[in-house]
Amino acid sequence: MAQAQVPVTVLTGYLGAGKTTLLNRILSEQHGKKYAVIVNEFGELGVDNDLVVNADEEVFEMNNGCICCTVRGDLIRIIEGLMKRKDKFDGILVETTGLADPGPVAQTFFTDDEVKARTRLDAIVTVVDAKHFLGQLEQGDEAQEQVAFADVILLNKTDLVSEDELKKVEGKIKSINRYARIFRTQKSQIELAAILDKGAFDLQRILEFEPDFLHHGHDHDHEEEVKSLSLSADRPVDPDKFQKWMGALLQLRGPDIFRSKGILAIDGAPRRYVYQGVHMMMDSDWGTPWKEGEKRSSKLVFIGRNLDGENLQRGFNDCLK
Amino acid sequence: MKLDLSNPAWQQTLPPGRAVAADAPAAACAFSKDGSIVAFALGDGRVRLLPADINAAETPAAEPLHGGAVLALVGDPAGDGFVSGGDDGRLLRIAADGTASEIANQKGKWFEHVAAHRATGAIAASAGKSAFVVRGGEVKEFGPHESTVAGLDFSKDGSRIACAHYGGVTVWSIGQVTLPPRKFAWRGSHVALKWSTDGKFIATGTQENDIHVWRMAQATDMRMQGYPAKVKSLSWTADARFLYTSAQPVFTAWSFAGKGPEGKPPLQFGEEGAGLISVVAAHPAAEFVAGGYDSGELQLGDIRTKRSVVLKMADGSAITGLAWSPDGYKLAIGNDTGTLLVLDLRR
Repeated sequence: MAQAQVPVTVLTGYLGAGKTTLLNRILSEQHGKKYAVIVNEFGELGVDNDLVVNADEEVFEMNNGCICCTVRGDLIRIIEGLMKRKDKFDGILVETTGLADPGPVAQTFFTDDEVKARTRLDAIVTVVDAKHFLGQLEQGDEAQEQVAFADVILLNKTDLVSEDELKKVEGKIKSINRYARIFRTQKSQIELAAILDKGAFDLQRILEFEPDFLHHGHDHDHEEEVKSLSLSADRPVDPDKFQKWMGALLQLRGPDIFRSKGILAIDGAPRRYVYQGVHMMMDSDWGTPWKEGEKRSSKLVFIGRNLDGENLQRGFNDCLK
Repeated sequence: MKLDLSNPAWQQTLPPGRAVAADAPAAACAFSKDGSIVAFALGDGRVRLLPADINAAETPAAEPLHGGAVLALVGDPAGDGFVSGGDDGRLLRIAADGTASEIANQKGKWFEHVAAHRATGAIAASAGKSAFVVRGGEVKEFGPHESTVAGLDFSKDGSRIACAHYGGVTVWSIGQVTLPPRKFAWRGSHVALKWSTDGKFIATGTQENDIHVWRMAQATDMRMQGYPAKVKSLSWTADARFLYTSAQPVFTAWSFAGKGPEGKPPLQFGEEGAGLISVVAAHPAAEFVAGGYDSGELQLGDIRTKRSVVLKMADGSAITGLAWSPDGYKLAIGNDTGTLLVLDLRR
C-alpha cells in the first residue's frame, strides 16, 4: 500500500476561543482543497457539509499496562471509514472539545498501525482567547495543557485587549511553550496555508528557531508549572543509547512530559533522525539529508511539568559519541 | 460439494469468472438470499449489482444510493435484494432491480455494521452507539452502549443480538418481551464480532491485536494473543468447529472441538502471503476457506487436507471483501482499488 499519508491537524482551544469560527471558514472558503472535519457537535457549525463527521470523544485506555496510554477509539474508526471513500482528502481536521486534554487525540496517531499508515499528525493548533486566557489558567489545567501541546497558536480576539495586555498574554504563552509559533488574529482570520499541512511535526523549523531568551524561571521557578526547554549537542548521537535513555525517561516521566521532539545527528548517518513523542508514546523516522559541510548538531525539546533541565542535559550527554 | 483445490491451472489463470472495474474502493460484498445476484458496496455511494451467473449479460452501473461511502452490505434476509449502510447515516433496502427504499436515517452518524438472520428475516444494523433491529416494517433501537458499536451479529436462532464496544460485548434479547441486556466484560476496545454458528461462543477482535472469546453457557472467557495486527475479520466454519481469523500470513483457525482452544496453538496452513490476511471467509457448507490478503493475493484452502492454492490476481491492492454464494460454488471478491470479481469454482 503505497498511499500518501494524509496530514492531520488537531484543533484545540478553550470554550469560546474561536475554534468554530475557524472551522466554518475552512469549510466555506474557496481554497481549492478538500478537508474532512471531525467535530464534536454538529449543530455548532453553520455549514452543512458531507465532509463534516460527528465524533463522540470516545477515549479508552489501552490494555497494555501503560497508565497514560489513552487514545480516541472513535478517531481510529472514523479515519478507517474515511479511507473507504472514493474521494481522497487533502487533509483531516480534528476538533477537540474546549475542556479536552489533547493527549488522547495526539496519542491516537502514535498508537494505531492502520492510522499511522494512512495519516500523519501534521500539527496541533491551539486557539487562545486573548481576553480570557489568563483567567482560564486559574480555572484548571486545560488551558495550560492546550498551549503546552501546541505547535501553532492562534492568539485570537486581539481586538478586545490592549497591546500591553496582549504582551502579557504572549509572555505567559511563551513561559509555557516557547517553541510554538504564535499568530495574532481577530475573528480567527488567518491564511489557512499558515496553519494547515505545514509539517510542523516535521520539526525542522521549530528546532532551528531559537526562541527569544526569556528572563523568567530563575527568579521564581514554580516547579509545578508547565514549561519548555531544549537540549543540544554538537557531537553525534549514539542511536542505541538514545533509544534506551528516552524510552526509560518517558516510561518514568511520561505523564509529566506533554511533548518531546528532536532532530538528531546520528553517528555516521547521512540523514537527520527525527524524533517526536506525546507523553509515553514515541515515534521516529529519517528526515532530510545533511548538506555537504553542514554543521551536524542535535537538538531536543521538552514541554512538561517538573522538568529538570540540568538533569536532562546530563542524560542526553551520556547518549553522545 | 466439489472444489478441487489442487487444480494447478488456477495458479496460472483464474477460474472462470467475471471482472468489473468500479473505480472506487469496495468495502464489502454479498450474495442475495437466492444466490442469483452479487453486490459490492463502493466508496462512491454506489452498490454495484451483478448477475451471479458469470455467463449472463452484465447489468449496467446504477447511480449512487448513498451520499458518501457504502460501509456495510448484506443480502436481504427477507427479500431478493440487499441491505446497505452508509456514512450518510442511511440504512437502505435495495431491490433486485436496484431500486432503493430507506429503512432508517440517523443523520450525522454512520451505519457501519449490518447483519442479517436468514431464518427470521431480521436485520440488525448499528449507527453510533445504538443498534437497530428491523423486522417487517418495525425498527427497534437497542442501546445506547457506552461507545460506538464496532461489530454486531445475531445468535443462531435469531432471538438475540450481540454488540461489541468499549469494555466488552452486550447481548440483547430482541423478542417482544424486553429483557435486561447481558454484558460480557473485557477491558479495552473491541473492534469486530462474530457469534459462532452453533450459538455457543461470541468472538471479538480487540484494539490490542488479540481475540477474545466468551463461552455463552458458563459466561467464561478466553483470550488468544500473538497477532501482529488487529483482527478485523473473523469467520466460524459451518459446523462451528473452527474460528478463522485474519491478521496472519497463513490460514489460522482455532479449534473449538472438545475442550476448546485454550492453551493450544491454532491450526495454521497454506502458503505465506506477502502481507497478512485482511478478510477471511469460511465456506458455507464444506471444509473450505477463502482468504484475501492486504497485499492483494487470494488463497483458497481445505482444512481437512491442509491443501491450498494461491490465485493470481490482476492487481496487488488489499482485498477488502469476500463472500461465498449460498450454494458454495461461487466466490465474490472486492478490493481497495475497485476490482470486483465473481469466480465460479465448479469444475
